[in-house]
Amino acid sequence: MNTRRTTTPKSVQASRLNRRDFLIRGGLMGAGALSLPALLAACGSDSGSTADTVGGGGDSSLFFENWPGYMDEETIGLFQAASGVSLKYTEAFNDNNEYFAKIQPEMSKGKTIAPDILAPTFWMAARLVQLGWVQKLPKADIPNFVNLRDDLSGQSWDKNDEYHLPYQSGIAGIAYNSKITGRELKSVADLFDPAFKGKIGMLTEMRDTIGLILMGEGKKISDITTFDAASAGFDKLEKAKSEGQIRSFTGNDYVDDLSAGNFAACVAWSGDVLQLTKDNPDVKFIIPEEGGTSWYDTMVWMKGSQNGDAVAKWMNFLYDPVNAARLTSFVQYLSPVKGVQEELVKMGGDNAKLAEDPLLFPDAATFARLQSWGALAEEEEAKFDEAFASITGA
Amino acid sequence: MTSVVSAGKKWGATLSSRPENVGLGVMLGLGLGAVALAAQWVKGPSSLLVAIAMLTMVVGLIYTAFAGGLEARKSLAPYGLLKPGMIWLCLFFLAPLWSMVVMSLSSKAGRFDFFPDFTWNFENYRIALTKFRPQFIRSFSYAGIATILTVVIGYPLAYFIAFRGGKYRNVLLGLVVVPFFTSYLIRTLAWNNILADEGPVVSLINTLHLTGVFETLDIMQNGKLMNTPAAVIGGLTYNFLPFMVLPIYVSLEKIDVRLVDAAMDLYSSASQAFRKVVLPLSLPGLFAGSLLVFIPAAGDFVNAQFLGNPQTTMIGNSIQDQFLRQLNYPVASAMSFVLMIIITIIVLIYTKFMGTEDLA
Repeated sequence: MNTRRTTTPKSVQASRLNRRDFLIRGGLMGAGALSLPALLAACGSDSGSTADTVGGGGDSSLFFENWPGYMDEETIGLFQAASGVSLKYTEAFNDNNEYFAKIQPEMSKGKTIAPDILAPTFWMAARLVQLGWVQKLPKADIPNFVNLRDDLSGQSWDKNDEYHLPYQSGIAGIAYNSKITGRELKSVADLFDPAFKGKIGMLTEMRDTIGLILMGEGKKISDITTFDAASAGFDKLEKAKSEGQIRSFTGNDYVDDLSAGNFAACVAWSGDVLQLTKDNPDVKFIIPEEGGTSWYDTMVWMKGSQNGDAVAKWMNFLYDPVNAARLTSFVQYLSPVKGVQEELVKMGGDNAKLAEDPLLFPDAATFARLQSWGALAEEEEAKFDEAFASITGA
Repeated sequence: MTSVVSAGKKWGATLSSRPENVGLGVMLGLGLGAVALAAQWVKGPSSLLVAIAMLTMVVGLIYTAFAGGLEARKSLAPYGLLKPGMIWLCLFFLAPLWSMVVMSLSSKAGRFDFFPDFTWNFENYRIALTKFRPQFIRSFSYAGIATILTVVIGYPLAYFIAFRGGKYRNVLLGLVVVPFFTSYLIRTLAWNNILADEGPVVSLINTLHLTGVFETLDIMQNGKLMNTPAAVIGGLTYNFLPFMVLPIYVSLEKIDVRLVDAAMDLYSSASQAFRKVVLPLSLPGLFAGSLLVFIPAAGDFVNAQFLGNPQTTMIGNSIQDQFLRQLNYPVASAMSFVLMIIITIIVLIYTKFMGTEDLA
């Protein structure tokens, strides 16, 4: 997610999401109605067990600040009904860096911010952990923790999964407009094909862009902890920029450039392109043969928040496969929860089709080709960001 | 004891006899206090002292106003009217400016040091002026070209509306402002579709076989219109055009058309009448318009971000990056301050040569 949303203005994004929501919701309505009894049953048992373990009585409240268009309203209603927690849900988390700048003045002075839970992307979550701005999750009260996808467990920055639970995950690969390229693309090297001079887009999200290039160079990005180890990728990008190979660095707005044919190919996010392909069959998404980067957004419990009970109930609710499946059918990203695929099949209709989508449920071979960044130390991350900024021209 | 009281009375009497000094003093005192509090010169208990001092000044002022009678109140009135603006300026301009200058001379212990120490660190200015020189030069050139273009496009437009608009004047003027009903970002992003490689403009140019001409003029690069310097300058021109049209219109509209008739009666040609009568009288509008366009355009980052490429970034983009991504508040502050100073110098020079009595 992260700078997927960085440079795209909120209004544009909203309008684009709305367009998609229409497409999605049509299918959702039917499916949702069919599976409602099952959902209610699941929620009922859910809240019962949570109430036992947490032992929290009375009404509690919770404030979750999320990315725009990242949750359906039905989920919020069902959770409130099942748990008795009044959930304040807002979508002002528009950009990792901007949101960080927003909470920094208060958090750095040891004050408490209003939201209990935020949804930073993994590297920002790692930064918040490093700064001590988040608390350990009440894992004992989140029995559904066991449903966490194995590959997402034990990240280098949170080895024991103490501070975060993934919210959604996704893949960065290459998207191309076959009408412009006139051929199939397969590898990262295709981005540097001189035939596409001035028609290549890169993401302002440093980790996805540099990560993909490094994989093209045969590097294993999960092992990279220093800038020196990654400098080959920066050199390659710098060279491509000065030769005019790269047209621009974008956030979410790459979808427009891709669709309009301004980009022949670009680094892209799977979820976006899945939607775009429906409108424009020329647009295709591939995970390059060298591999793709995998990213995930997290849920973290902010320091100073007193609503531990409600936090536990909420996370437990979202890690119930039934609820997770409903969320997946809405947001169409990779769910971090085990058992979602089976639930989608049970929901039938369009959702059953989603269960077969290789980009939502990659097979083992594809999974093996995905890599994610580990945590970067403070000063190293600064070097990465500076080097990247000087390439993007900022 | 009695001597203290009498001294107090004497002091009070002196003050009452010079109420205008009290007014001026209290205004400056309150302004200073406001800056001291807002820029955090004083913290904790001492800020309470400043607040009490400010309150005392207000009490003294009220005392002077009542004790001195009508005459005193009359001479206090101008300062009283100035006070809200003065305090506003202190709170929302001087205090932030002070904080920015202090920040620009501070140094950070580490990336996540959010409270940089003030160390007279001029290194920040060196970075701002060397590392970001290309962006500064680019920003001022783009803004300058955009300003000239808005004059070229905006002056005839304003002239037409003012002198030939007739009963449609207000409608035409409304049309100039209508784009403002849409978000700035949306207006900018719309150019992405218009100038797209497969879009209408590029297709038309290709059909007319004019690509070569545009490439020679450096408006197109590699057959592209989008993501070129021309697109960025075009975006700036488009977005700031109304800021040029409106002031020019206002100054043209005030011109008595009979002055032109008089010039013609005195055997001047139409162009002479324009040069000697209309143009000089519209200079204040032209002057105001250029400032309204140039200043925000120089600091703009939206057009470069959405219409440009990695070689067209402006100083606004760099400041944004330093502030939000690199978390380098000292360098970002130094860059902002340099930007402010350069703009001020340019405006002063411009005022010297272009300025009219109305504005200078």
